[in-house]
Amino acid sequence: MARALWKGFLTFGAITFPAILYTAVSSAERVSFNILNRRTGNKVRREYVDSGSGEPVERDAQVKGYEVEKDQHIIIEPDEIAAIVPESDKTIRVSDYIPNSEIDTVFLDKSYYLIPDKAGEEAFVLLRDALVRSGVAAIAHAVLFRRLRTLLIRPHGNGLIASTMNFDYEVRSAEEAFEDAPKVHIEGEMLDLAKHIIATKKGTFNPKEFDDRYDTALMELVQAKAEGRTIKPPKEPKVEGVSSLLEALRESVGVTEKRRTRTTAKSRAAGAAKTGRKTASGERRKAG
Amino acid sequence: MAVRPYWKGYLKLSLVTCPVAMSPATSESEKVRFHTINRETHNRVVSHYVDSVTGKEVSDEDEVKGFDRGGEYVLLEDDELQAVNLESVRTIEISTFVPRETIDWIWLDKAHYLVPDGKVGEDAFAVIRDAMAAEDVVGISRLVIGRREHAIMLEPRGNGIVVWTLHYGDEVRDEDEYFDRITADTDPQLLEVAQEVIQGQTKHWSPSFVKDPMQENLLKIIAAKKKGLKNVVKPIEVPTASKSNVVDLMAALKKSLEGGSKKSEAKAKR
Repeated sequence: MARALWKGFLTFGAITFPAILYTAVSSAERVSFNILNRRTGNKVRREYVDSGSGEPVERDAQVKGYEVEKDQHIIIEPDEIAAIVPESDKTIRVSDYIPNSEIDTVFLDKSYYLIPDKAGEEAFVLLRDALVRSGVAAIAHAVLFRRLRTLLIRPHGNGLIASTMNFDYEVRSAEEAFEDAPKVHIEGEMLDLAKHIIATKKGTFNPKEFDDRYDTALMELVQAKAEGRTIKPPKEPKVEGVSSLLEALRESVGVTEKRRTRTTAKSRAAGAAKTGRKTASGERRKAG
Repeated sequence: MAVRPYWKGYLKLSLVTCPVAMSPATSESEKVRFHTINRETHNRVVSHYVDSVTGKEVSDEDEVKGFDRGGEYVLLEDDELQAVNLESVRTIEISTFVPRETIDWIWLDKAHYLVPDGKVGEDAFAVIRDAMAAEDVVGISRLVIGRREHAIMLEPRGNGIVVWTLHYGDEVRDEDEYFDRITADTDPQLLEVAQEVIQGQTKHWSPSFVKDPMQENLLKIIAAKKKGLKNVVKPIEVPTASKSNVVDLMAALKKSLEGGSKKSEAKAKR
């Protein structure tokens, strides 16, 4: 088992127990190439220089500056930053609970496994089971990584998963993003056909078994280039116009029908393609 | 918040294809960010590339990606990289549909918003989205982002589709290693009171849960410095809690109940 990321306490109501956080997800950047100087074929390295003189700048002389106007900076000294870093009291403090149905997953940042230290197990399982029974997740705050972070804590099997949440200014809401998207909604035969296609493609997915094919494809490309073959970009896919969408859906069903031996009893009588298109106003669905 | 074009391509279900545009759901653009400044000259410190052998500056147009092939570098231009033979570079073809709850949140990496790109694909986009919503499923596909092919999950939402990249199998640690040791049972009596405590403190989701006091303080420091004032910001106060282990959980729960009922905030029903 990996080393604990954080050790402290979790407080809910008047109950406090010793808790430990472990990194649940580690994402390693993968670099498959080097940046070279085209003229010499040598590798390049990064250097930090003064934008005016072009001279390298020593680490000690590098300081944070906030740009108030173009090329006008207010210098913020490290001790000024240090002065506002909240002091960690090593406590995850639960303040509120929210119904599972209201959790907007877009706010979730990084996840950690939360488990009790020896003495805290009884209080831990009480919180976990009460969350399960109530159908809610806990909202908590803690000083992590020198910042006051909001955590969403939810039950998961025998344990709890604590996820840091993105700050309000870091998230663009789905409502805002989809505001300008066409408010077209489809009903009738087209929707029935699409539902039918989906039904034939229902299955299971285990993310653990996913294979990233990029490296293999990239090596083929590198090989082709090395052998002096010309590299042709693949063709753009064909896009159906509005008029041929119904046809494409029907053909899709035909294709999937052929693969299946039994036919469905689904009615296709419900409305023609044109009447199936309606414009809905601002209705929305919750994620989660 | 500014919307950056991020990726443009196609969404495909069986023989139905439509042009789509995708943008990230999260952004650092509103975060208070600093430049690195040379204290002596007050000029910005910028990074550039120098040749590792000659030490001379390398201009942008002379930078090229080199792929190691047995000690020798093969140079590839960006447009050549685009030609990598994977459909998932430009097309999200939905291969499988699964119930939403079968993909645990732990797998969710980054969220993106997907919308139709242009009039021509609107109906095709809408029919795929609405059929997923009607069947109460999410779509599974592949997409190349940043020179890696990711598993992605497509979730209908409002007028659009949320696209999640999923973590790789070797990135998510085995939970059993951590959770298997937790074996205690819960006292049913305690559980009932705990549920009561929770009910009293259950609220609707609100963005006010995710405020950043550190950022607010940074802005205050900057504003004060602009006016030539000395540091006026105090550190964020974190209330202290008693660190003692609670021995009598029932007594603590009852105390929590009293505390909870005093609050008059809006409460949410589940």
